[in-house]
Amino acid sequence: MRGVRKSFDGNEVLKGVDFDLRPGEVHALVGENGAGKSTLMNVLAGVHQPNAGTIEFDGRTGIVIPDEKSAQQLGISIVFQERSLFGHLSVAENIFAARQPNVLGHILRKELQTDARRSLERIKLDVDPGTPVEDLSPAQQQMVEVAKALSLEAKVIIFDEPTSSLTGKETQALFGVIRQLRSQGVGVIYISHRLEEIFQIADRVTVLKDGKWQGTTSVAETDTGDLVRRMVGRDLELRHNDAVAAHNPILLEVRGLSDLPSHSKALLKDVSFNARAGEIVGFAGLAGAGRTELALSIFGIRPRGGGEIYVSGRRVTVRSPAEAIAAGIGYAYEDRKEGGLFLDMSVAHNIAAAKLKRFGTWWLSEGRQSAVAAELQESLRIACRNTSQSVQSLSGGNQQKVVLAKWLLANPKVLIVDEPTRGVDVGAKAEVHNLLYRLSRGGAAVIVISSDLPEILAVSDRIYIMREGRITGELNRTEATEENVMRLASLTLPTPV
Amino acid sequence: MNELPATTVPTSAGIGRHNRLRFPAFPRELALAVVTLGTVIGCSVLYPASFANFSNFAAIVRNLAFEGILAIGMMLMLIGGSFDLSVGAMASMIGVITGALMKDLNWPVPLAVLAGLLTAISGGLLNGFIVAKVRVNALITTLGTMGIFQGLALLIGGPGITYLPESFSRFGQSQFLGLQAPVWVLVALAIIAHYAMAHTRFFRQFYYIGSNPKAAHLSGVNVERLQIVSFMVMGFLAGLAGILYASRIATATSTVGVGAELQAITAVILGGASLSGGRGTIWGAMIGVFFMGLMKNVLIIARFSSEWQGIVLGAVLVAAVALDSLMNRKRIG
Repeated sequence: MRGVRKSFDGNEVLKGVDFDLRPGEVHALVGENGAGKSTLMNVLAGVHQPNAGTIEFDGRTGIVIPDEKSAQQLGISIVFQERSLFGHLSVAENIFAARQPNVLGHILRKELQTDARRSLERIKLDVDPGTPVEDLSPAQQQMVEVAKALSLEAKVIIFDEPTSSLTGKETQALFGVIRQLRSQGVGVIYISHRLEEIFQIADRVTVLKDGKWQGTTSVAETDTGDLVRRMVGRDLELRHNDAVAAHNPILLEVRGLSDLPSHSKALLKDVSFNARAGEIVGFAGLAGAGRTELALSIFGIRPRGGGEIYVSGRRVTVRSPAEAIAAGIGYAYEDRKEGGLFLDMSVAHNIAAAKLKRFGTWWLSEGRQSAVAAELQESLRIACRNTSQSVQSLSGGNQQKVVLAKWLLANPKVLIVDEPTRGVDVGAKAEVHNLLYRLSRGGAAVIVISSDLPEILAVSDRIYIMREGRITGELNRTEATEENVMRLASLTLPTPV
Repeated sequence: MNELPATTVPTSAGIGRHNRLRFPAFPRELALAVVTLGTVIGCSVLYPASFANFSNFAAIVRNLAFEGILAIGMMLMLIGGSFDLSVGAMASMIGVITGALMKDLNWPVPLAVLAGLLTAISGGLLNGFIVAKVRVNALITTLGTMGIFQGLALLIGGPGITYLPESFSRFGQSQFLGLQAPVWVLVALAIIAHYAMAHTRFFRQFYYIGSNPKAAHLSGVNVERLQIVSFMVMGFLAGLAGILYASRIATATSTVGVGAELQAITAVILGGASLSGGRGTIWGAMIGVFFMGLMKNVLIIARFSSEWQGIVLGAVLVAAVALDSLMNRKRIG
């Protein structure tokens, strides 16, 4: 791809980008949200038509890719960030969606199964092709997408943020598949916000910033600091370096919290922990360890079978989010679009959502809502034209800031943030961390749940590690290393008597 | 494009000023208002004698009162991301129950009306309970209760209860400034509902629920309770509409509400509501209802047979929503 340009409504998103991919190579594409990575890939996949520039493919120049179908026929497939599978249908039917082997429209079940099995073998995915996709883990679903791409005889496979919902182990399995694809001569384009992954998997890396090409280098010739500089044009300091007084008052204490034994997915067992004023407490663990379930339980959504919750030393009854908020607990859900934002509503109305009473018991004051929202917009540096803009037009990082602004306004004593920087670019990520830091130093207890281990290590004063619904360890800042956390997170527990 | 530099200072344009909910750049209710105005002007020119006079206007709005009151409730339902198909049957049933209480059991009129309204609220509570607590889909629940209410109306009232007491029909037939009482009730309810939806904390919560029920729940909004309340308000309004209609014609007809639920949904969607919730205003609902009444009137004046009503309104509904969808897609793409 040479000099690719693309504008939307007069807004130039790609300003002459060059990109090339060799067979049997993993080429990483990095950049902040809005840098133009997805647009570039959508041009390649036929979703968008470039305004200028040329595409050369397999020795043929001046290629036009009018739509997704022609991209597939050329051998270009995308594995999307948001998986595009049919949950109720079987693995086999997903792999061969709309092109099942058939005779005059009658689907040949047996051929479908064998073909599917062959594709699954190619990536060493051990699942029955008849399983409904919704019963698979996120990682397995991702693999089904890969199998689908391969079954299309793809020569180029684009991975767009494939690991954002995968655990460390699953990520490694995915990398195994990518390496295998590479050895089979497939060209892989790999987009990720997690820079450490680039160094594990990629051969070359291209940086985009504001739609402009910022250089392509071999991975061996660069490092994280260099990439970040090229992406954001400045250096970022992640780790805060001051110790919190360990004798601050305990704001949240949880004792012996368990799920209802009758719960269909009972997981939490006898969880006890605390969080002090002015500290950031991290919760690490593999996916399925029960961290989000714990948060949902404390926040009154998941029914509890036992256990007590104390806020500022006083025992509280929490049976619903409303009661949790009244008790001084806030919870920013792990998926901001699903459970955090009112997408078609304005920034101001989103920010006011958890604290409407502040703007009037009976009559709401729009003026005060706008004024308060504008203050938060400024102090959190939320990039929007004004606070009456709808949040769906904001970038992921700014949307996350809106969610945090909502909770800042509710002013809880304890704020639980679940995956606060998922799908957020490097610059906004540092701002979110900074915000959590300021919030904790202002006297709140902040609990961070994240599957991004470097993030947990960077922001936490203290870390609890969970596995299979229990807390398996507690580490302070000096003890917390990636190895220690991983050891506790994957520790095998003695069978309970 | 997304990450503006930090130097971008927030504009203070909206601050301190009256800054109401802003939905799409050109909201559908405004578009409809323009079309409605255009239709009125056009018809005044085409049919100066039969259209452009006060008695024709009075006839249009008189027929609106019933559907208008239902549309207020339906707008509340759709803003909250739900809807109620049982409203027409509810209106019929409550009219008949109220009529039977005062005529067959000789209850005093105010007591019969009160009992009718309480029954309506209970019917709404039943709908709300099944939808919010038992979690049966609103379409299925209200489709079922629609059948139940309609059946009860026919059981109790047969084809209808005629010659209701004069003390009951006096109100519905009284006039003020040339318009009948039910029209003024509609105006009063619309003003109250508009202020409630636009400015009260309680009712503003419905926009949050309709926009994203899960996020609303996680923000501390009591989604289940509010859903039940919305069905109760809807039930009350449907019952009131049925009673007022019976009062106006001194007869409780068992089938007065047949098809009214779809008319009300059509009106509020024309007026800017969305089936996916979170959108819409009361004045939009009122314009939607007025536009539908206007179209019916115009078709009669232009001597189209009554079959054309459904065809024209159906076409207008699909065209309006399709246009909206096309414009939205252009904005996002």
